[in-house]
Amino acid sequence: MTEQIEATVREVGARVRPQIEEARRRLSSANSNVASYIKENPGRCLVGAVAIGFLIGKIARRA
Amino acid sequence: METHEQSTSNGRGNESGKETEHGAGWVSDSAHKAWSRTQGAVSELKRAAAIEERVNRHPYGAVAAALGIGYALGGGIFTPLTSRIVALGLRIGIRLAILPILKDEISVLADALGGESESKGRRGGNRAAKPSGER
Repeated sequence: MTEQIEATVREVGARVRPQIEEARRRLSSANSNVASYIKENPGRCLVGAVAIGFLIGKIARRA
Repeated sequence: METHEQSTSNGRGNESGKETEHGAGWVSDSAHKAWSRTQGAVSELKRAAAIEERVNRHPYGAVAAALGIGYALGGGIFTPLTSRIVALGLRIGIRLAILPILKDEISVLADALGGESESKGRRGGNRAAKPSGER
């Protein structure tokens, strides 16, 4: 019984591990893309962030 | 008579036209000056705050700071949402900061209690031993 459970867990782990690795790789590439975009266009990003923050503040004030 | 009036009125018209042109020119000049001053102030601010450097060093931090500035400008500081966020942050911060201190204190206390109980045990053992020795 225990061996069966261990085998199942191993199988599930082997099946899930590549997906987790893929998700991690995608997340890290997205992170680097976003960071490089911010570095390339700092003014646009900062002004956009200020505008978004302003809107959130307005909405929070109304609510 | 009419010709004189017409000429005077035409003169006034010309004068008013000139004044309007002069006013428009002055407005455009002042707008140009204001624009150039604003550009200068922005570039000076950029240089003073080293914004590009900061963004290069901490891109997400810079964006978060800009979001916070916008939030404050939008008047969101004294709102229930802010109080909720602050309370959540405080709760998490207190947990993160106090837990290790509490852990250390508890381990010190446990050590002290363990030492005390051991010494008490020894004393108790001695006391218990004395009567048995007396007997």
